[in-house]
Amino acid sequence: MGFWDAVTDLIDAATPWATVEAEAPADTPAETAPASESTEETTAETKAEESAPAAEEPEEEAEEEEEEEEDEDEIVDPKETLEEECRNSKECAPAKHHYDECAARVTGAGADNKEDCVEEFFHLVHCATQCAAPKLWNTLK
Amino acid sequence: MLARTCLRSTRTFASAKNGAFKFAKRSASTQSSGAAAESPLRLNIAAAAATAVAAGSIAWYYHLYGFASAMTPAEEGLHATKYPWVHEQWLKTFDHQALRRGFQVYREVCASCHSLSRVPYRALVGTILTVDEAKALAEENEYDTEPNDQGEIEKRPGKLSDYLPDPYKNDEAARFANNGALPPDLSLIVKARHGGCDYIFSLLTGYPDEPPAGASVGAGLNFNPYFPGTGIAMARVLYDGLVDYEDGTPASTSQMAKDVVEFLNWAAEPEMDDRKRMGMKVLVVTSVLFALSVYVKRYKWAWLKSRKIVYDPPKSPPPATNLALPQQRAKS
Repeated sequence: MGFWDAVTDLIDAATPWATVEAEAPADTPAETAPASESTEETTAETKAEESAPAAEEPEEEAEEEEEEEEDEDEIVDPKETLEEECRNSKECAPAKHHYDECAARVTGAGADNKEDCVEEFFHLVHCATQCAAPKLWNTLK
Repeated sequence: MLARTCLRSTRTFASAKNGAFKFAKRSASTQSSGAAAESPLRLNIAAAAATAVAAGSIAWYYHLYGFASAMTPAEEGLHATKYPWVHEQWLKTFDHQALRRGFQVYREVCASCHSLSRVPYRALVGTILTVDEAKALAEENEYDTEPNDQGEIEKRPGKLSDYLPDPYKNDEAARFANNGALPPDLSLIVKARHGGCDYIFSLLTGYPDEPPAGASVGAGLNFNPYFPGTGIAMARVLYDGLVDYEDGTPASTSQMAKDVVEFLNWAAEPEMDDRKRMGMKVLVVTSVLFALSVYVKRYKWAWLKSRKIVYDPPKSPPPATNLALPQQRAKS
């Protein structure tokens, strides 16, 4: 991948019709995304208008949704979500099963317990990170 | 210790064991076909003595030390997952936007405890900051001057040739401020740890919400699976949105960790970009020269390699002798 990237970069730079930009061009999806949101909002509004008798309730709901969207500006770590998915995937099911079993055993054992679930935890974390690593690098900048 | 305790316990059984074995050996050598030599009673005594020695040594060890808990996975620490770092590819450079973000993370988060003592401001110029930014940054800190006429050492604002300031005056002050734990210098940390970038990224992002069931975490320590021993004095420092990136990148924990790790890799080997470019040049030039040398060698050796050695027998027929075969003689 790296090698052919370099080759295509060289060819792009050498072609006379190529335009050279100092910075990466702005992403067009960023512009399209708000438009789709607005269309969703308009559709929601039209639906609200259609259901005239119970008009107030859907409007309130729509407002709540908007508030939630604003709250979603809080950053979510992609690593945690991806690893959570991986942990619950079929791939890591054995490791998760072992860890859950160990955790139940250890917490049930009470005070005179000498066992720990570090090894099972290691296997689970190893599986989850291994599965999430390429996906994570696709999402991170 | 185990060996010593084993030896100690064998001494008590020595007389019985040696007696049994020696007797069996001697009788076997003297009486070649004696039925009494392999009497089951004596063999049983030997086996029982050996078993008693083994069981006794194990019991003695358990009495002294309890369950052995050596070489656990926790001692080793979880090996870091391999991440597909772009800058580690052969033909890739550092992403200097990422370096700039990573330097921001270092300055706002790490620098309160960790020094970066081998990096001068001038190294940042052109790779991470512009000259003016680096100068402004240097001038924020004070450095010692040369002794003046009275031998006094005064303070002056920093210059580009100064090194990034240490957060603590010395190691003792650093230990005192951090509950006895010394925050390592980060200049070469990527080279100084097994797993390099992967390890540091995993360490920064790998703090679980709560340690696994039954795990013991020492006082003042935090559980991190990637740290050998799993008890690390550094608490989790990177939280989502901790830093406001100037380029608007969402500052999630993993994004900050990735950026700061790439920055630390730059700090450890700032020559990487040049090194890779030089390596490419070397490979290209040497491959051309090698191909040329192969061609020249074949060209110069062509006359020797393409010659043909032919045995040209004398034209005149050899004188007929008795040795000639009868058929040939009949033909001629």
